[in-house]
Amino acid sequence: MIHLKNIEKVYRTSTVETLAINGISLDIAKGEFLSIMGPSGCGKSTLLNIIGLLDEPSKGSIRIGDQDITGFKDQRLAKFRNEKLGFIFQSYHLINDLQVLDNVELPLLYRNVSDKERRQLAAEALEKVGLSNRMKHFPTQLSGGQRQRVAIARAIVGRPEIILADEPTGNLDSAMGNEIMDILINLNKNDGTTIVMVTHDEHMAGKTHRLVRLFDGSQVQ
Amino acid sequence: MFKHLFKLIWNKKSQNFLLLIEILVSFMVVFLLSSSVVYYMINYQKPMGMDYKPVWMIQYNNELPTKNTDSIVMFYDAVKQHIASFPEVAEVSFSGNNIPFSSSFSSTDISNKGVKYERISNFRVEDDFIKVWSMNLKEGRWFNAGDRIYKDRPIVINESLKKKMFGDAPATGQLISNKEEESKWRVIGVVEDVKDESDFSPVMDGMYLRIDTGTFKWLSTITLKVNSNADAAFESRLSKYLSNTFKNSSIEIAHLEDMRKEKNRSKAMPVVIFMIVAGFLIINVALGIFGVLWYNINKRKSEIGLRRAIGATGNTVSIQLVSESLLLATLSLILGVFFAVQFPLLHVFDMPSNVYFIAIGIAIIFIYLLVFICSLYPGKQAAGIHPAIALHEE
Repeated sequence: MIHLKNIEKVYRTSTVETLAINGISLDIAKGEFLSIMGPSGCGKSTLLNIIGLLDEPSKGSIRIGDQDITGFKDQRLAKFRNEKLGFIFQSYHLINDLQVLDNVELPLLYRNVSDKERRQLAAEALEKVGLSNRMKHFPTQLSGGQRQRVAIARAIVGRPEIILADEPTGNLDSAMGNEIMDILINLNKNDGTTIVMVTHDEHMAGKTHRLVRLFDGSQVQ
Repeated sequence: MFKHLFKLIWNKKSQNFLLLIEILVSFMVVFLLSSSVVYYMINYQKPMGMDYKPVWMIQYNNELPTKNTDSIVMFYDAVKQHIASFPEVAEVSFSGNNIPFSSSFSSTDISNKGVKYERISNFRVEDDFIKVWSMNLKEGRWFNAGDRIYKDRPIVINESLKKKMFGDAPATGQLISNKEEESKWRVIGVVEDVKDESDFSPVMDGMYLRIDTGTFKWLSTITLKVNSNADAAFESRLSKYLSNTFKNSSIEIAHLEDMRKEKNRSKAMPVVIFMIVAGFLIINVALGIFGVLWYNINKRKSEIGLRRAIGATGNTVSIQLVSESLLLATLSLILGVFFAVQFPLLHVFDMPSNVYFIAIGIAIIFIYLLVFICSLYPGKQAAGIHPAIALHEE
């Protein structure tokens, strides 16, 4: 599903050159639930950003499905992200000025989907994460766990093949973290969605199919 | 997308309140300024209705020792003959002080079939006045010597007054009266409207009455049409003759061209000052809009990052931010247009309605352009925000 080959990422300033990812090659199968772990600054998020096409590798190639993404321009990348990828972030990244339903339908705004269909799909996604009774609420009126569920609904509303989750339970207590994890596991199991999750939590990582450990930008396990 | 943007703006209305007010105030300032400028331009484009260029004005103190009307008339007739005898002079005419581009104004209220017409410019003129000013007769005739004897006093009116009183029907022969309906005047002719205040001023409703012999004792203005050979030497000779004729009188000779320029200057000055003040205000508003949008973009980096992540291109983000600003401007403009429309409805200033509507159009275009230009650069900056970095910023 996802094939990374010799990925390198170097951040350069006028004086310093930092190697964030050092020649990582990784194959992630369709329907796999993979977690990435490692100490802070080891390049987990950078790797996830590269897989999510939010950042460009300095070297190496990426294939997702049967497409070689290397060299895709802004417009193609945006379309690809919109159709194939769903994102979940540690800090949710919800728009506080929009109601829950409006937040969830955001990815569909960038597709040719009618207003009615958009609302219907967003409502279905919210139902899936158990928040159909919070559609008219604003994010600030929800708990952390509920906000993350909204973020998951937003990630799945466009029915992407891959979900990329950057520490989705990082801001939650263990009970809420487990709830979120259960939702992700169900998505993976029932819908066959491929999930790549960055986490610091061994317990959460233990629930996934495979664990990749990074250290100083290199894969160590 | 429009609905989404509208919702976003509407939900942030308290945050956008100051910006909305700022745009509203700018709209009103531009609207008022445009109203003045459009009004002046419309007036400017109207014909003058006369030729002021070869006209000179002489003002003198009317202090003749005699009170005998015949002696006075004879004296002024002799003056007129003498001035007319100069080869540089084409036409001469006595008149009231309120000649075009002068600072004098004389008005009266008149009545026609019970309808009152107020503040009608009232000009006292001689038979040659029309020739001095090269005015155009539109209907009937101008005054002549035969008008010395009359049953109903002859009167010439201008086209504006004619239209108001008689519409498209002929005015010649119609009887009108003063406000109290004591004196009757018979319309003998209609002249083209004369822009007598300045190039930028509107045409006033006007009426012309013939100077009779009893009037000379309070007249103090002579107008003359000069030939192309009228130079400084002639002006000096004329001045010398007048000084000798009007003993102990202060004589002033002025060229209508200069008087017109002075009038135009004084008329345009308030608008120019208003333009400068408005210009500074608009620069401030532009910087304000620019600053607010710039600040918003920095505040919304994470939202921009998210939008990029879920499928927006850099251009889409840029277009969204510019559209948001334009939508915000639209909200202010709706309110602004509501206020602006009250001006013609309530006749706030004495301007035709079409002036206000043109000004509203100009102000709308101006505000949209201003907001568009001010949001273009912040929008472009937003498009350049790297999603991975933006998503890491809180």
